[in-house]
Amino acid sequence: MQQRARSSVALVRLEIPPRSPYVGVVRLAISSLARSAGLDEEKVDDIKIAVSEACANAVLNNEEASTDAPVTISWEDSDGSVRIEVADRGATVDSSASADVDTQGFSTRAVMSFALLKSLVDDCEFQPRDGGGMTTRLLINR
Amino acid sequence: MELGLDVQKTGSHAVVDVKGEIDVYTAPKLREKLIELVSEGSYDVVVNLEGVDFLDSTGLGVLVGALKRVKAHDGSLSLVCTQDKILKIFKITGLTKVFPIHETVDAATGA
Repeated sequence: MQQRARSSVALVRLEIPPRSPYVGVVRLAISSLARSAGLDEEKVDDIKIAVSEACANAVLNNEEASTDAPVTISWEDSDGSVRIEVADRGATVDSSASADVDTQGFSTRAVMSFALLKSLVDDCEFQPRDGGGMTTRLLINR
Repeated sequence: MELGLDVQKTGSHAVVDVKGEIDVYTAPKLREKLIELVSEGSYDVVVNLEGVDFLDSTGLGVLVGALKRVKAHDGSLSLVCTQDKILKIFKITGLTKVFPIHETVDAATGA
């Protein structure tokens, strides 16, 4: 973990292998950062779920693409907001093109994940990365 | 991070007490347990989430998968949950309309 703190901006970067056992480690780190940043418990819980979803998607994208490049998670706390980015080198996902429901009419896991991400933070964007993979950007207003 | 899975048979129901965090790492263990129950002939399943601290979309996907399996045998899958932070996940994803959610195991098994 690298940490750089200035008067008004705190930047933390984490890097994990793109495998599922490490997602819990990110949850612990992010919860701790969110609490230290003075966010209330409900917001801490929401951020924890959103970041965990973004990391789970990154791990699953990596499985699909059979790559072993790390997943990076960055946390930037500035005066009015917290910005979190989760970037992977896995499969590129077009969230607008994924099927909403399966053949029996049930929501797919990916759609439920996007619903959680969009609902739990103030803004959420998904973008393909140059060189492959996806970036999920989360914005949390204070 | 371990997921606790304890199964009890109550009348015609199999009750699975889940403890810990259900995420992309642990959800496959829950999936295996639920598949095992259905393959053994338990088609009325109750999943008790009262001991669960965290649930994500992979956990929801496993529960939806299990619901499809029991429905193929005219069975049922209901949940026990009173924790607001877990109920919120079901509400956001619209699954409160898909799963019967009870406050106690007795209410879920009709005891």
